[in-house]
Amino acid sequence: MEIGLNHYLVLSTILFAIGLVGVMRRKNLLLLFFATEILLNAVNIAFAAISHYYGDMTGQMFAFFIIAVAASEVAVGLGLLIVWYKRHGSIDLDVLTTMKG
Amino acid sequence: MEKYLYIALFAPLVSSLFSLLFTATPKKLFTGIVASLLIITSLISSSILLTHILETGEPIHVTMMTWMQTGGLYIPFGFLVDQVSVTMMMVVTLVSSVVHVYAIGYMDHDKGFNRFFAWLSAFVFSMMILVMSDNYAGLFIGWEGVGLCSWGLIGFWFHKESATWAANEAFIMNRIADLGMLIGLFLIYWNTGTLQYDGAFAAFHQLPTATLTWIGIFLFIGAMGKSAQFPLHTWLADAMEGPTPVSALIHAATMVTAGVYLVIRSHELYSLIPHVGLFIASLGTFVALFAASMALVNRDMKRVIAYSTLSQLGYMFAAAGLGAYWVALFHLMAHAGFKALLFLGAGNVMHAMKDELDPFKMGGLKKVMKWTWIMMVIGSLALAGVIPFAGFFSKDTILEAAYSGNHMVIYGVLLFTAGLTAFYSFRLVALIFHGEERYKLFGVHPHEAYRFMLVAMSPLLLVAIVVGILQTPFFDMVEEVLNGHEYHIEHTLALIMLVGTQLFVGLAILYAYVKYANSKIKVPDGTSKIENSFAYKLLINQYYIPYAYEEYIVKPYRELSEFFWQKIDVKVVDATVDGIASIIYNTGEKTRDMQSGNLSTMLRWMVVGLIILLSLAVIFGFTVKYSGV
Amino acid sequence: MLDHILSILIFFPALAAVFGFMIQKESMRTYGVAVALIEFVLSLVLWYAFDNNVSGMQFVENIPLIPAFGINYSLGIDGISLFIIILSAFFTFLGIVSLTDTPKVKYMIITLLFLQMTMAGVFAALDAIVFYTFWELSLVPMLYIIGAWGGPLRIYASIKFFLYTFAGSLVMLVGMLFMAYFYHQAAGVWSFSILDWYRLVLPENFQLWLFVAFFIGFAIKVPMFPFHTWLPYAHGQAPTIGSVILAAILLKMGTYAFVRFSLPLFPDAAAYFMIPIAILAVIMIIYTSMVAYAQKDIKQVVAYSSIAHMGVIILGTFALNVEGVSGSIFLMLGHGVVAGGLFMLVGVIYDRRHTKLMSEFGGLAHVMPRYATIFGIMMMASVGLPLTINFVGEFLSLLGFYQQSHILTLLAGTGIIVGAIYMLAAYKKAFFGEVTNEANKNLPDINKKELFGIIPLVIVAIWLGVYPKPVLGPINNSVTSIIKLMHAKATTELAKERIPDLTKPRVFLMKKTINKEVN
Repeated sequence: MEIGLNHYLVLSTILFAIGLVGVMRRKNLLLLFFATEILLNAVNIAFAAISHYYGDMTGQMFAFFIIAVAASEVAVGLGLLIVWYKRHGSIDLDVLTTMKG
Repeated sequence: MEKYLYIALFAPLVSSLFSLLFTATPKKLFTGIVASLLIITSLISSSILLTHILETGEPIHVTMMTWMQTGGLYIPFGFLVDQVSVTMMMVVTLVSSVVHVYAIGYMDHDKGFNRFFAWLSAFVFSMMILVMSDNYAGLFIGWEGVGLCSWGLIGFWFHKESATWAANEAFIMNRIADLGMLIGLFLIYWNTGTLQYDGAFAAFHQLPTATLTWIGIFLFIGAMGKSAQFPLHTWLADAMEGPTPVSALIHAATMVTAGVYLVIRSHELYSLIPHVGLFIASLGTFVALFAASMALVNRDMKRVIAYSTLSQLGYMFAAAGLGAYWVALFHLMAHAGFKALLFLGAGNVMHAMKDELDPFKMGGLKKVMKWTWIMMVIGSLALAGVIPFAGFFSKDTILEAAYSGNHMVIYGVLLFTAGLTAFYSFRLVALIFHGEERYKLFGVHPHEAYRFMLVAMSPLLLVAIVVGILQTPFFDMVEEVLNGHEYHIEHTLALIMLVGTQLFVGLAILYAYVKYANSKIKVPDGTSKIENSFAYKLLINQYYIPYAYEEYIVKPYRELSEFFWQKIDVKVVDATVDGIASIIYNTGEKTRDMQSGNLSTMLRWMVVGLIILLSLAVIFGFTVKYSGV
Repeated sequence: MLDHILSILIFFPALAAVFGFMIQKESMRTYGVAVALIEFVLSLVLWYAFDNNVSGMQFVENIPLIPAFGINYSLGIDGISLFIIILSAFFTFLGIVSLTDTPKVKYMIITLLFLQMTMAGVFAALDAIVFYTFWELSLVPMLYIIGAWGGPLRIYASIKFFLYTFAGSLVMLVGMLFMAYFYHQAAGVWSFSILDWYRLVLPENFQLWLFVAFFIGFAIKVPMFPFHTWLPYAHGQAPTIGSVILAAILLKMGTYAFVRFSLPLFPDAAAYFMIPIAILAVIMIIYTSMVAYAQKDIKQVVAYSSIAHMGVIILGTFALNVEGVSGSIFLMLGHGVVAGGLFMLVGVIYDRRHTKLMSEFGGLAHVMPRYATIFGIMMMASVGLPLTINFVGEFLSLLGFYQQSHILTLLAGTGIIVGAIYMLAAYKKAFFGEVTNEANKNLPDINKKELFGIIPLVIVAIWLGVYPKPVLGPINNSVTSIIKLMHAKATTELAKERIPDLTKPRVFLMKKTINKEVN
């Protein structure tokens, strides 16, 4: 059986679902970051696969973009996270309610 | 001649403005004198205009300036002095001159002396505009103006609740009628394109009868209010709360006759619609009887005279409705003279009796007030229509007009009413001036009025005595405008009618004297048999009409207003608006919980939103795909 | 200077207001009076330079703002807007002159000057976006006046005023955008110019929708029944000066906009909706007059009477003939003068007693005779007595509408009866009778400063009642051109019938007699 576009897309969907569940369920900010990374990479897989399928490089370009953005996001995010941890001593999401309306 | 026209018109205005300057200051005798002089100036100018009209027969027509002009509408301040309006001008200026001079004495001790003259002269000015205007809009200015002045003068003693109430009642009732008049003006404008008398009259001949009928009805509704015809009559008796000179001038001689003037002025309209005329005549006849019946029992001197005014206005409308416009005008003129005389006489009595109004508490005043007595008797004779006084000529002609027009019911009722008139007039005279001196029980020391007041009244006395002789010259003068004709009934028949009428009236007077001039009259205390009879109660309560108005119109109106405000405006309209606002606000309150600040919850909401959007996209995608577009 | 006089009229008070922040508190009053006086004189110069024989726009200014969308800063006035602008400058002047001991008077004057800017802007704007901008901006100073200087319920009242009218004008904005879109479809270019829009003939169903959109915005502003409930609160809570300006000028924006937008843009829709709107107007007249009669607070009586008079204005506007529309515009001025004057007069007694309840007064005519006289004159003007300013407007409005419907005019005419009822009843309660309340025994009569504010209004009320020609003439010219335009644009039979054709000689004979309508 040859591995085709569908397999990649299924993989991407599964990863996306895992990431989504992670986003919904995780209470630890660090693990939330992991979950978003999973989401982004699920999309990356889909981009790369579709790009290959159509022979159009735009998708792969986009994947690189996303990697770059994700990296910078993690850099900034982790920095903020550490500051937060130093201030409040916890990165539990249930404690982060200063934005309550 | 135009100069005199303007002097006649604006002298009262100057007088009013002059007195107005001093309204806030204490009594100044000269305001009264200056005001009277200016009104007399107006009288003199009117007389000059009268002689001019008599000599040349040519009306004077001037246009002062534009008032309103827009679209096809053009209304100028235009004034017309013709045979009809000059008659009215003479009546107005003569009676008002007398009343002005008289009031200097009557209002002697009043704080509002200056204010009184400001209002009184303003009234004369409005009345002059009313009668001199050459178009319906100008007439309406005067119409509303006299209404305003009547409001101010009825409520002159504004500390009295009853006076201010009566003032408001008069104004509002007149407003009801004014609406009718206004609608009449609109109809005239949209059908003829003008409100000028000459233009409109010329155009009336081409209009369908239905339209003319409506115009006639609406104008007459206006006349009904001002002339206090049933069912808008209750204000007139209540208006007696005002100072007595006001009652003499406004509520007897001039303002209340404005309605009659309107019908006479519009005679070209009403002669095209005799069926409306017949209605006017019937209503007038009814009012004549209706008001006379209420005057029979009333125990308020001024109200009795007010009801008799109402009754005489009925006579005028009967004449005007039957097409005898000149007769109506003649009766108006004669009536103005003797009715003002009666009121001023009543004013003398009131002064003497310390504002007592109940004739049963007077009696025997003849001794102390001889001149007043003479004047009141002559006024009453004229009112009763005794030969040769003014009322005889005018009223008798009305009867003749009814008779020769074959309106036997109208004739009969009017004749019967003439008897009632004689009875109640002399009932009053007998009660006040004859019999026992009952006033002594109340510790009053009556005295005759100032000499100059009596002198001031004398022109009216003259009118009451001699005006009847002027009937033929008067007819010759106004026939040019009013196209009337003299009523000639076969000689013997006329003689029989004359004698019959006089006999009837004479008997009524005699009966009144026999019944009320004796020494057995006591101040009624509500126990006598007659006072408990149904008819008496009906009449003394004015057929329960004021009661019905209060109970079935005023009260429901007040309650409905409260209901509209408290229930509809606050509870429905405003509550709906606030309801919508609070729905939006509450939705915000409720959904606020979503913004818990908890990142995890918010992310879950985000996923929910994502799923909803995705499913929407899928659904729409499939719809588009399979809808076959 | 005359070329830019409208811009000067609009921005001079705003500029002066900005400088006002730097003025010392003590001299602020003088400064304000001076600025308002200059503004008023400028508006009189405008009148002097106005050519009465021209029916179109004058003093036109045009500066492109966003050329791509055809949005221009364009101004101009005709006979309709000229007098409302003068009236607004007049009232700003009188308002500042007669300001009584207000706290923070400096900021009040600055607010009033800003308000004058927005008012002049609304009535001079010839571009829908400029119009809308000033229309919305006018809410801000008013919100501030009510909210900062108002009575105990001021926050509720001001927010209600703001949100209600704001919600309405958003619908109007959508209508304007659609209108511009339709113009783009038809002409190929974008334009928000009202004069360009005048030339566009829309199909009837578009007109109906757009008319409704505009109507909601205007009707809330007027305010028409049943959108009127913000007004009693606003008046009840606003300080005297706020009520004066609100009644005299701000309400006129709605009725002015009807004449400026609804009639010439949508003649078919105006004819189509004429009867329903007239019924609303009749309800406004009778119903609010009755509500006014039930009021205990004299200021609320005047507030509700304003709504009733606005009903007559609406009726005249939708008469769709020269007599009616001219009358309604004249009545806008008349009601401005009279209602403004009455609110000022209520303010006089409020300053003395700090209550507006009629039951607290009674017999004031004894202690304050001059005040009672002036109040009486203004009351009679409000009731619409001939030779006062309101009569001319009411007479013409009702006369105009009579051509369209007998019965509705008859019903609306009852306004002159019920109007007299509530006014006379209120006057009787407050001024007549004996002085029963101890607190009223020694009230000082109206003083010089108050007289200075009120006497000009009395003079105008009588002057324009006796001699309305200088004002009625220019109004008549502009209205005639609008009615001509409407007749030319009308597409439906109904509109052709209801809007008179002024190019033909007039035939006076009503097409239908009353009999037909009664049957």
